[in-house]
Amino acid sequence: MSPRSHRTRGRSIFGQVTVASILIAMVAVAVLFAVTTITIRGQTRNALSATVSTDVAGLIDIYATAGRAELLRRIDDRQDVVSLEGRRSHYLVADGAGRRISGDITRWPALSAALSEEGYVTLADGTQVYAQGAKLAPDLQLLVAREYDRDHAALLVLSAVFLGVGAGIVGAVALVAWVTARHLARRMDAVNAALGAAADGRAANFPTRRRGGDEIDEMASHGARLLARQAQLLKAYKQVSEHVAHEVRTPLMHLDSRLGEAMRDHPEAPGGPIGESRDDIRGITSMLDSLLDIASAESRRGELAGLAEFDLTALVTSLADLYEDSAEDAGLTLVTAIAPGVTLLGERMQITRLLSNLLDNAIKYVPEDGQIRLTLTHGPRIVIEDDGPGIPHDQRDRIFERFVRATAPGDRPGHGLGLALSRAIAERHGLVLRLGDAPRGAQFILEPAP
Amino acid sequence: MGDLNILYVEDDPRAAEAVRVLLASDGDRLAWEQTGTGGLQRAGAEPFDVIILDRMLPDIDGLTIVSRLRSAGVGTPVLMLSALGRSENRIEGLDAGVDDYLAKPYEPQELVARLHALHRRSAGKVHGAVIIFGSFECHVKARTAFRSGRHIPLSPREFALFRYFMENAGETVTREMLLRDVWNMNFDPQTNVVDVNIGRLRRKLEEGFTAPALETIWGAGYRLTRGE
Repeated sequence: MSPRSHRTRGRSIFGQVTVASILIAMVAVAVLFAVTTITIRGQTRNALSATVSTDVAGLIDIYATAGRAELLRRIDDRQDVVSLEGRRSHYLVADGAGRRISGDITRWPALSAALSEEGYVTLADGTQVYAQGAKLAPDLQLLVAREYDRDHAALLVLSAVFLGVGAGIVGAVALVAWVTARHLARRMDAVNAALGAAADGRAANFPTRRRGGDEIDEMASHGARLLARQAQLLKAYKQVSEHVAHEVRTPLMHLDSRLGEAMRDHPEAPGGPIGESRDDIRGITSMLDSLLDIASAESRRGELAGLAEFDLTALVTSLADLYEDSAEDAGLTLVTAIAPGVTLLGERMQITRLLSNLLDNAIKYVPEDGQIRLTLTHGPRIVIEDDGPGIPHDQRDRIFERFVRATAPGDRPGHGLGLALSRAIAERHGLVLRLGDAPRGAQFILEPAP
Repeated sequence: MGDLNILYVEDDPRAAEAVRVLLASDGDRLAWEQTGTGGLQRAGAEPFDVIILDRMLPDIDGLTIVSRLRSAGVGTPVLMLSALGRSENRIEGLDAGVDDYLAKPYEPQELVARLHALHRRSAGKVHGAVIIFGSFECHVKARTAFRSGRHIPLSPREFALFRYFMENAGETVTREMLLRDVWNMNFDPQTNVVDVNIGRLRRKLEEGFTAPALETIWGAGYRLTRGE
């Protein structure tokens, strides 16, 4: 188990920006292509329509002024003409039922002559044309058609050009986006790594500011300043607490050594006033230490510095071995169930302290003939439970607070800092120490924080 | 008992004088340096058996002195004596290369016991398969204990304790040494857990004999007697 130092990143915004840029470039090229194609198709149709209509109008005029024979002769002449745009002409003069009289088109297509319909049609021989019909007389109708394969070929060339240029644009956009995103991502990663290291309590190296500096440089410099400030505060806190400890301990030490000399000069029975005074001195220093330890553990919550993986199974086994005789002397049975191969990323000394505190409490509060159970399972999860009087219901919420002690019959003195310190140590390791809901006795559970 | 050559770097003359008197009564010689710079120079220039270092010195921090000594190749065992006695402070000291860490206020006897233990550790005393001290015999491989030729049945833990006392025969063994070397624990719960274990061993070693086997050194720890 390790304290959760940093959450894994879902998706990088730079990757998303790259993908979005490529998509936008593709959509833009596609839209441009569609608009261009539609415009060209429209203009081609208009041009074909104008050409065919003019031809029809001319032939109608010839029919009206010179008659049917002249019309047929002119059509024969025009059949082989290829326009400047490269559009070959085709004609059909038919009777009222659509049967061919003259012209190179053999069958009347699906266009109404009476309505002067026009449009793209495929002739019987497979030629694709733009054609218009016209009714000249009840038994005579005319069809004028123009091939448009040249226009079609031009459109294909245009499409190919668009595809090539479009692919080039999309590729260029992708390349620029990728290079930019990679560069930005690298710089952001450097800032992130520095912040992550700082959050884990390791040395943070912010990237150096480039000439000029941009938003990322600014963010890095703010981060560095923030950390420097935090380090300064921590240093000040450490200095003050160490000086307080030093200044309190030094006179106490002199007092203690003088009492020690007095004790040697005037030996007294165990529990005598000098011995008691020396015990009090040790009590004061240990209370001071506990308070500082709680503050220190709380300030280092989530920090990885100083943590190392150690064999929790071995530690719990040693503790059980150490406390077995004490439990027996107190008339209690210490029952253990210790899973093999459990490790923990933590400070071994602090975890020893936490567990021995819980075992000391159990031995202190469980009456004779009771049982203490110590269980270690993978997770890691440690349960220390007993069948003693348990924690009074109204005190359950408060026992982990500083200077709060559960009151029970036959209670013995203490500072009420043990459980507060134990909980602070647990939290410093990303664990929780909580009370379980055992039907009887006290049940302390140490497990990874949810 | 004594005869160690010890350097003490301490800015408080009163504390230095107390240690000088204490060690003199034990037969050890104490050289005192009041500043970190002086201590650093002297530790590098003269051979000492053990160095006692105060942590908070006016000129150089005790931890820095240890680091400098170690990087200069001075391997003399160092005991840090400090008013900063929290487990966090201890870890910092041990990490810096200190061999033992004792918090003020301390029991004079404990300081003496630790200095001697440090010296013994650095001297790297090797024990044979059978250790004999006074009326006691410890057969290391067979894991058996005898007193005056009589076999004493011991549990594995009791044997480990007995063996440790035999390896440190005649010397004061502190609770912290027992916790560290027998139970592999670097924290002293400050309760009577160790004493209860010693009590068990003592009863077994003394049952049927009149002479005591283990004596309690007040405030320091225990010592195995010759049992004769």
